[in-house]
Amino acid sequence: MSLAIRLTGALLVALGLAVAAFKALRHDIPLAPTEERGPWEVELTISVRGDGQRGSIRALLPSTEPGQTIFDERAAGERLTVAIQEAAEGRAGVWTGRLEGVHELVYRFRVQLTGLETPIDGVLVAGDTPPSERDVYLRASATFPVSAPAVVERIEQLGLAPASDPAARIQTVFAFVAHEVQTVESGGDDALLTLERREGSAIGKERLLVTLLRASGRRARLAQGLELREGAVPSPNTWVEVGLGETWITLSADEGILGRRPENWVVLGRGPRPLVEATGARAVGHRFRSVREHLRPDEIASLMAPDDPLLAWLSLYRLPIGTQAMLRWLLLLPLGAVVTAIFRNVVGLRTYGTFMPALIALALSDLPPSWAAGLLGGVLAIGVGARIALERLRLLMVPRLSILLCLVVLYVTSVALVNQHVGGRDWLSGTLLPIVIITMWIERITITAEEEGTLEAMRRTFWSLVVAAAVLPVFQSELAGYLVFTFPELTFASMGLLVWIGGYTGYRVVELIRFRSLTHEAPQR
Amino acid sequence: MSLAEMRRRGILGINRRNVLYTLGQNERARYPLVDDKLLTKQLCRRANIPVPRLIASANTHREVGQLLGRVRDEPAFVLKPARGAMGNGILVLEWRDGQLYRGVRRMAEGAFVYHAAGIVSGLYSLAGHSDEALVEERLETDPRFAELVADGVPDTRIIVYRGIPAMSMVRLPTRASDGRANLHQGAVGAGIDLVTGLLGRAVQRNREVLASPDTGVSIAGFEIPEFDRVLDTAVRATDETGLGYVGADVVVDARYGPVVLELNARPGLAIQLANRAGLRPRLEAIDRVHPDLADGERAPGTPAERIALGREIASANP
Repeated sequence: MSLAIRLTGALLVALGLAVAAFKALRHDIPLAPTEERGPWEVELTISVRGDGQRGSIRALLPSTEPGQTIFDERAAGERLTVAIQEAAEGRAGVWTGRLEGVHELVYRFRVQLTGLETPIDGVLVAGDTPPSERDVYLRASATFPVSAPAVVERIEQLGLAPASDPAARIQTVFAFVAHEVQTVESGGDDALLTLERREGSAIGKERLLVTLLRASGRRARLAQGLELREGAVPSPNTWVEVGLGETWITLSADEGILGRRPENWVVLGRGPRPLVEATGARAVGHRFRSVREHLRPDEIASLMAPDDPLLAWLSLYRLPIGTQAMLRWLLLLPLGAVVTAIFRNVVGLRTYGTFMPALIALALSDLPPSWAAGLLGGVLAIGVGARIALERLRLLMVPRLSILLCLVVLYVTSVALVNQHVGGRDWLSGTLLPIVIITMWIERITITAEEEGTLEAMRRTFWSLVVAAAVLPVFQSELAGYLVFTFPELTFASMGLLVWIGGYTGYRVVELIRFRSLTHEAPQR
Repeated sequence: MSLAEMRRRGILGINRRNVLYTLGQNERARYPLVDDKLLTKQLCRRANIPVPRLIASANTHREVGQLLGRVRDEPAFVLKPARGAMGNGILVLEWRDGQLYRGVRRMAEGAFVYHAAGIVSGLYSLAGHSDEALVEERLETDPRFAELVADGVPDTRIIVYRGIPAMSMVRLPTRASDGRANLHQGAVGAGIDLVTGLLGRAVQRNREVLASPDTGVSIAGFEIPEFDRVLDTAVRATDETGLGYVGADVVVDARYGPVVLELNARPGLAIQLANRAGLRPRLEAIDRVHPDLADGERAPGTPAERIALGREIASANP
């Protein structure tokens, strides 16, 4: 290795490590995730289109309450003024102004969730006093038809415990809705229809639960919020809160939850208003994004707003969440490249394509191993089989590759359908890239099989998979993900390592085997 | 410890070859001269170095359709991609009773067109780019090779470093390699003594063999026909490329004598297995004789003087 290469590599490695060390020591940024259950950052983006009229957009905003602490709130709206309203049923953000063309409104917050345990036990029951007749949470409405004959009749048939045992009454009503009413995706949201058909949407069931609870004499209301999941888009969630004494107890007929709010539910608001509504607008749409941080709130604060303005300007933690998610993904690629380079140049494995194994690993890293293996194996098998079948037709290369792509698309489509019918989770979104890559891979495999024999093709496929499997833990490592995102300057260190590997003129591991017959023979003469 | 043993024997590894020789001695812009067989052919013709005669070529799918019509009068010919790698995509064909044959197997004319179309689409080219399909005359093996080779055309690979031959081997096609002179397909590789042109030890699929697997004749001691002219042809052809580290593949044809089949800017390392010797001592000895050459620069002297130097270095580093 030449001196220039040694120095260039050392310089880059030193640069990356020095900047990272400076940040870590000077600004107390931890070198590893410190908090498994760190806060979530949630972003609400509202797109609204108007034709010049004045209008307003109202969105439910979370409040700090038992189970959740809100901090780092930021709101922005193109050409609109934003105000935060405090009301009995919660807070709301209201953007007002003349709506002209498309406006993008963004509201971001961080929330530390702890979950909320509210078991129905003796202590709560003891503090219970019957609510007054005029209580707003007992009232009948179009949404909660408390005095409808079907509802009254159902309450009678349930044979509730005496009013002195409120816990038993709540449990009986809950058990009826949770176990005797089916949840169907296409079901209606109406409480009465849900009661009559014994099936309804998740919202229909929760509305029915509120209606029946109110009819049984309990105060009940709907709560709206989000269910947050790592690596997934937050899903809007509606559940029920029933009053017992001073406490509101969480129930979800759909999820079968009684007496506890899960740790990944954030409350946005209560009452009948939707999450986002607009007046004076021609169209409005919204989406949520979230990311979980594995740091304590104070550490996040030092990353978001360090004393040094340059560092603050450079902090990736201030970027929009979608961009953050993309960068968390992208910044891992150089690490994958280092591992690939080691396998190719120091070990000497022959793989298909330079970065294909790493890309496949990266793209499949969100899938559970069984899914990744199944998808990969299925696509490979179909592709190679179809390629052999198509061989007889003697098609030109581009259409032939395209037919292969069609088959792979059909295969993925049928996997999605089967998955839907067995009720699996949605794993397939985001697997577009690997499927295209695998299709190209099949072409390389079949050509190699023709030209250099099936054995060589299988060998190279195997080594490609070995490299992909070796890169996979890097992409799945929480520590690696944290380090490259918090210290993006480490990419310079990766470049330094790559310079060193690029200048490595020593033997590859496989050459020890290749030339074994030479080194093991008896010395001549 | 085999790592130390590899160093002691001066085995050249692929990383060292890439960094010091193919990257260090071969200017990237000149690679097309050897990667494109059509350019190599033109280069050699201008310098009066024999190459297989080009019969026809096809750049487009339209020309592919006309290709077969242009080779009807050739009794035997070879279809190959202009920018193929490692012998991929090469078909050796002949006409018998108006039918196309590939070895003993008949080949439908449609299959020929399909294969040529695959070449033009870039199926066998180095980077998958579109390519040119070449048809050239089939060389006839010098009859003196008959005792070692039953079928196919043996070729001699000479590593030429800075214009000086450093090591050579002959690749003998076998039935196992389907008549192809590619070591990874099962051809026999035999080291050649640069001084005498006599074969030494030989390997097939990394295992040492003593005799030709097809004819049973002992390999060691066989003399490569016209070896002096083979070396001269290789050295002069690589001189034309301006590349510092080249593998020249030369076939001894029954009619024309030594013919340049192709040149390679990234010659493989298996030649060390065939010779049972490492390349490093010889390459480093050449550098010691000519320490002041710039990267890629060739040693001074006539081809004959440089061949003499290569032989001297080879015999000092067996």
